[in-house]
Amino acid sequence: SAESNGPRRNSKRPKYSKFTQQELPACKPILTPKWVISTFLIVSVVFIPIGVVSLFASRDVVEIVDEYETDCIPAHSRNDKVAFIQGPEDKTCNRTLTVTKRMKQPVYVYYQLDGFYQNHRRYVRSRSDQQLRNAKDSRSTGPCSPEDTTPNGMPIVPCGLIAWSLFNDTYGLSRNSEELSINKKGISWKSDREHKFGKNVYPQNFQNGTLIGGGQLNSSLPLSEQEDLIVWMRTAALPTFRKLYGKIEVDLEAGDVIGVSIQNRYNTYSFEGKKKLVLSTANWLGGKNDFMGIAYVSVGGLCFFLAIVFSLIYLVKPRQLGDPSYLSWNRN
Amino acid sequence: YACSLLRQGMRQIIVTLDSPEIVALEKATPAPDKAAIAQASKRSVVEQLEEGTAQVSKFTSDAFALIIDGKSLVYALEPDVEKLFLALAVGCASVICCRSSPKQKALVTRLVKSGTKKTTLAIGDGANDVGMLQEADIGVGISGVEGMQAVMSSDVAIAQFRFLERLLLVHGHWCYRRISSMICYFFYKNLAFGFTIFFYEAYTTFSGQPAYNDWFMSLYNVFFTSLPVIALGVFDQDVSSKYCLKFPMLYQEGVQNRLFSWRRILGWMFNGVATATIIFFFTVKAMSPQGYDRDGKPADYPIIGATMYTAVVWVVNLQMALAITYFTLIQHVFIWGSIAIWYLFLLAYGALPPSISTTAYDVFVETLAPTPAYYAVTGFVVVSALVPYFAYSSVQTRFFPMYHTVIQWMRHQGKADDPEYCEAVRQSSIGHTTVGLTARSLARSNSL
Repeated sequence: SAESNGPRRNSKRPKYSKFTQQELPACKPILTPKWVISTFLIVSVVFIPIGVVSLFASRDVVEIVDEYETDCIPAHSRNDKVAFIQGPEDKTCNRTLTVTKRMKQPVYVYYQLDGFYQNHRRYVRSRSDQQLRNAKDSRSTGPCSPEDTTPNGMPIVPCGLIAWSLFNDTYGLSRNSEELSINKKGISWKSDREHKFGKNVYPQNFQNGTLIGGGQLNSSLPLSEQEDLIVWMRTAALPTFRKLYGKIEVDLEAGDVIGVSIQNRYNTYSFEGKKKLVLSTANWLGGKNDFMGIAYVSVGGLCFFLAIVFSLIYLVKPRQLGDPSYLSWNRN
Repeated sequence: YACSLLRQGMRQIIVTLDSPEIVALEKATPAPDKAAIAQASKRSVVEQLEEGTAQVSKFTSDAFALIIDGKSLVYALEPDVEKLFLALAVGCASVICCRSSPKQKALVTRLVKSGTKKTTLAIGDGANDVGMLQEADIGVGISGVEGMQAVMSSDVAIAQFRFLERLLLVHGHWCYRRISSMICYFFYKNLAFGFTIFFYEAYTTFSGQPAYNDWFMSLYNVFFTSLPVIALGVFDQDVSSKYCLKFPMLYQEGVQNRLFSWRRILGWMFNGVATATIIFFFTVKAMSPQGYDRDGKPADYPIIGATMYTAVVWVVNLQMALAITYFTLIQHVFIWGSIAIWYLFLLAYGALPPSISTTAYDVFVETLAPTPAYYAVTGFVVVSALVPYFAYSSVQTRFFPMYHTVIQWMRHQGKADDPEYCEAVRQSSIGHTTVGLTARSLARSNSL
């Protein structure tokens, strides 16, 4: 009966295919000592030079940071800073910075805020992108509450807390008593200027309530030209952030004394935030941050160390691979 | 003897109701006293079971076979006797219940299942096996001469009894491996992703602002990391079917739950959390607060979010590539394809008008792609996040290999076709596990 079943059995067999029989041609790598050591070596050979290059690039960047929020409050008002900042007193504050190393133009001027949570969920949502883009959508102020309309129902353009809290400290720079002009054009991203902020949208009813949150806007300029606003409205990711204020387009020599005249208007005192003025150059890797260089070198060094360690182990204990006496359930 | 359930050298314990006194009771005239028969039969069965138990405990190094027939089974399955029967049966290498009714088959299966709390498998081909097949955890039906009832009530259907070997050793082993790998990896990738968001919350005063654009997050498990997991769960193999059959001890990995122990699950989870930690803190430290590109613009929310997400997608997919040892065209397409899909998505989504793409509008083309810092940060973060696992895996593969790794090494070194070496491997890998092991290894070597 086996013979008579033979042809019938074969005719019921499904057609063979490599895919259904799970016999596809396959690459079956295994972590041999050769692979392990060479991977670690390659990583270290690639990382350490990159780290050194990054570190040099970062060292090349010259950065001057000046924290001014406490110093720019006159001594007699220091025990009630909030009252000072909200009061009518003159807010001019003069600071001096010394350039330690030659700074090639363009030198970027930033303001840095610490402890300002631009990434708070309610804050981030408090804007109306439609309104910013189109003049005819000026009434769509839905997400902007409570900074959406004036008490008599007129829409605020631009609405929302982000715009309302616009940073309004200003800086006037001079070198050796000569004024340094700050170019405030081109400080925002092009896509924001051209596609998110409309050319025909003008500020209306802005910052005219009882509670002033920040700066005023020139109502004769369309939003696409209000670069300070555009920069401010591109919210930062972290509570310590810098935003571009402008660029200085002359070289600053070592030893130059830069006088800064700050209008210290912005209230960070209610929440004990910090304000800093930063002058920095930039190169292909951005601004000054040693972390990248150090981290690259560290990881490269760690991998090199691991390569050495593994080489030693493989040399000292050349165990025959495939030896099952090392199976965990045999070792008890 | 034909199927090696009984072998030479096994001691047999036979429990029947053929003793003279019971036969006499049954043939008593004028009418057999049912109550007396029942009582005597039960007593006889209990005696035989107790005698068998004493034998098993006396000759601990021998293999025993218990043979019991249907009539005795009636009494052996009674509530007060069944524990004794089960204890004896479990102590024997083979148990043969002959002439049992379908109901008894089911009852025996249930007894073993609930008494030993182990996974039971039943195989049968006829309508009388239906009860047993349904009762067992896994019912294997054989389609054929006796019709399709067994197949219809089974969990797995095969065409011939001999296919059971392949079913268990190849497909059973592979399925166990695939499912446990898939679940561990799934936890890993979601922890790696979710913890970056969680760490970010600490920087937003826990206000609930996510680190990434909404659509990035929604599509994480759909487009960017789903295909490799599917490939892992459906196609992965540690060794080919040839070696699964050649080294049946590989099946013990499943029986002893070596691939899904708490240690392994928690290990993968820890890997996910560590990965997220490295990705988040390195990205954040490297990208802020200084200027990001040549024009001095700082890295804001869209840039940091997209960079961190890129790192997560790369790490999670490369981790898959490091963890598996079986690469067909499918795995390659899925893994590298998923990474490519992320970039394509970023391009496509960024091209949509800002009313739809909000913070991701043009983010790749304008801010990420032209800036060296993006590539520097991504490359560095990805490699750093994978170094710990790579080091761990190198050590484990070399010094603490699992059984399937041992076989992979043998295959790699070309020793897998050397019969003596294989035999040595098989013998030395047999540990003190359950009774019947010597039987299985003898059966293996006999058929070879």
